[in-house]
Amino acid sequence: MNNKSNYSTFLIIGGIIATVILTAGCTTPQEDSATNELVVAISTDVNNWYLDKFPGGDARFVWSQVYETLVRLDTDLNIVPGLAESWETPDDGKTWIFHLRDGVYFHNGAPFDANAVVFSYSDESYVKKMGALRSLDHIETIDENTVKFVLNRPMPLPFYLTHVAWPIMSPDCVDDNGDFVAPIGTGPFKFEKQTPDQEIVLIRNEDYRGDEPVLESVTFKVIPEASTRVMALETKEVDMIIKLPEYEVSRLENEADVNVYRKLTTFTDFLQFNCNNGVFNDKEIRKAVAYSINTEQMLNTVLEGIGTPAKGRPLSPVMMYSKPELDLYEYDVEKAREILSEAGWQDSDNDGILDKNGQPLKAKFIVGKDVWASRHVPMAEAIQGVLQNVGMDVDIQVLESGAITKLENEGQFDMILRSGYFVWGPYPRHFFVHQSFCPYSHYNNTEYDKLANAADSTADPEKQQQLYYDLQDMVLEELPAFYLVHEEKIIVANTYVKGYRITAEDPWLNLDGVYLEGKQ
Amino acid sequence: MLKYILKRIFLVFFVVIGVTIVTFSTMHFAPGDPAEVIAVARYGDDLTQEQIDWVRVTEGFDSPVYIQYLKWIKHVSRLDLGRSLVTSHDILEEITIRLPATFKLAVSSLVISLCIAIPAGIISAVRKNTIIDHLCMSAALLGVSIPNFWLGLLLIWLFSLTLHLFPSYGYGGCEHLVLPAITLGTSMAAITTRLTRSSMLDVLNQEYIVTAKAKGLDEKTIILRHALKNAMLPVITFAGLQLGFLLGGAVIVETIFAWPGIGKLLVDSIYARDFAMVQGCVLFIAVLFAFTNLIVDITYAFLDPRIRYEKT
Repeated sequence: MNNKSNYSTFLIIGGIIATVILTAGCTTPQEDSATNELVVAISTDVNNWYLDKFPGGDARFVWSQVYETLVRLDTDLNIVPGLAESWETPDDGKTWIFHLRDGVYFHNGAPFDANAVVFSYSDESYVKKMGALRSLDHIETIDENTVKFVLNRPMPLPFYLTHVAWPIMSPDCVDDNGDFVAPIGTGPFKFEKQTPDQEIVLIRNEDYRGDEPVLESVTFKVIPEASTRVMALETKEVDMIIKLPEYEVSRLENEADVNVYRKLTTFTDFLQFNCNNGVFNDKEIRKAVAYSINTEQMLNTVLEGIGTPAKGRPLSPVMMYSKPELDLYEYDVEKAREILSEAGWQDSDNDGILDKNGQPLKAKFIVGKDVWASRHVPMAEAIQGVLQNVGMDVDIQVLESGAITKLENEGQFDMILRSGYFVWGPYPRHFFVHQSFCPYSHYNNTEYDKLANAADSTADPEKQQQLYYDLQDMVLEELPAFYLVHEEKIIVANTYVKGYRITAEDPWLNLDGVYLEGKQ
Repeated sequence: MLKYILKRIFLVFFVVIGVTIVTFSTMHFAPGDPAEVIAVARYGDDLTQEQIDWVRVTEGFDSPVYIQYLKWIKHVSRLDLGRSLVTSHDILEEITIRLPATFKLAVSSLVISLCIAIPAGIISAVRKNTIIDHLCMSAALLGVSIPNFWLGLLLIWLFSLTLHLFPSYGYGGCEHLVLPAITLGTSMAAITTRLTRSSMLDVLNQEYIVTAKAKGLDEKTIILRHALKNAMLPVITFAGLQLGFLLGGAVIVETIFAWPGIGKLLVDSIYARDFAMVQGCVLFIAVLFAFTNLIVDITYAFLDPRIRYEKT
């Protein structure tokens, strides 16, 4: 027996020793004690630095440090000069002349001039070839510091040019063969190095045109999991994090050594209906859904009170031309029941689900398995619950993007939960999503198409405001989608990060004036 | 023996071809229009149908699947895995950058799992139906049942946030390796412990063990010299398979610990319908997996002379 227990002890100790050997030689993490090196956690790596492709995921937070745009936005989304000092249109938006800032240099020392603008919006650029600037015909160089954009149709071009996804790049970003070499912009930070799926290091641009940044460097750490990002912030391995789950916010707001920055952003979650066929072909049924959903309650329960209830308002109040007075949908479940009853839906077999001509009132509800899933899935479940309450049987399907495009193309769905389509700055390009020729549209109305085209084809602010006001009224009356919640942008930083001012613009990280003080 | 190895290598070739055909067709039969998914990943949401069709034609999605496969094979035969359809990065480079991280995590978690599982399995078998056996088996059941993502987050909370012993995320020195390797290792250890126990019990009931006992050999010698080697055969096979799986990446652990491995690269590529990248990764993983198994088989032949003699 004695022998036996010796033997067991030997095996146990052996196992423990072997495990410990593996971890031997490991030291505790070394904190970087340098004071002005900011570490920011983001959720995805930057897979692309060049204008031939869209910077997806969190790449734009990084791009916004390296590259700049001709037209900028301040922290409250007001249009301000960027690399262009001023601009004008001699013919109501068909051509635009931009006067470029003098004495601006790229990170490699080359001067910023008209050639760089022509290069950045050349045929190589996806945004001209494939994207929102399809209507750009060509750019003429008037002199070194003046360019003329010639468009195929009138459009409010300066608003478009605020987007960080199509900034000004140096022609030296590519070699003689046209192959991309390095990211060279005019922004406050210069690209230093990148380790795939791990980090991107940027260093201070000593020749920045504006106030020189206090930060010596900014390191973006790629941490895909939100809970890990939060813990890395709390261990002070990172100084600042973006994108965190709603349920973490109130806890972090009570922590003494972190600051939570919140601001209403340009994004709005919306419940898009398949208006072309199925149960929501009938506008009245769409209205019944709108009256059934208490967006205020949903915000306070599912989203922990983060955001503002939209009640159908298509544009966040921070957006340009967001109409202050709108006929919104106040929660009224009785009215919803009335509408359904008037449309002929009755619960004839007492199973709790309404029916008409022997067909039950059913809806297939699609939710994406993407970055929005953590908020969209619980929102969808809340909607499912309230619709069940008025007698609609909702089937939620959480799918990845390929499967969603298939169902969308075949029209095999009734509702889909979405956020922020064609939203970048304050300009409401978003209305494109319901135009019949948009790949994401499930609404067919020539009146709407015309109105949205007219609104996007004028440079006269008063006329444009009226057209966008009409469009908002139309969306509320026609309900191609029911808008649920205006989102808040959340940035969390340790208290030793000073001088940070959150911007309403998303995805944009404003590090102007940020410095570290007393980091241990 | 050499003939045996050559024959196995020959079979590996067919296995790999088979795997690539299956992946290629599965990817193409997956729901959704690949041209649209890729166009959105490349150029953002602001697209029209003509642009989606342009991607379809330029990437060759309009030709039949077998033509697309043959084209791909033609490139692979020149050792060219091509470029990512979404990011245009060189696929072989993307994989090889992530290989050291994947390899480190796979090997260390396997070692941790074996260091826990083999002693625990042997003790359970030798002390069958005692408290120590029940404890080991309950721990194993717990280990199998705990999801990796939960254990990972718990370990970060305990060892990084509370005790400040290890970094909470990232890849670098071996201090970064500890938490992800323990997370993966413990869950794998659970299954291996049970396997070691049952295999050991089988061996302990063999006649030659009874003979050894009758000869008056002490228990340590019987277990370590006579029983262990035979009991290890299924365990080694299983560990080899596990290593193969691990080299294919451990997506959940890689995601939680921000570990730059192949698993996450593959899963992200599947979501983005990046066919070229998926094919590249799968080919690479299939080759690794097949060779790991080959090594296991050779080890097996080495441990069990009967196999060696049969084959040669």
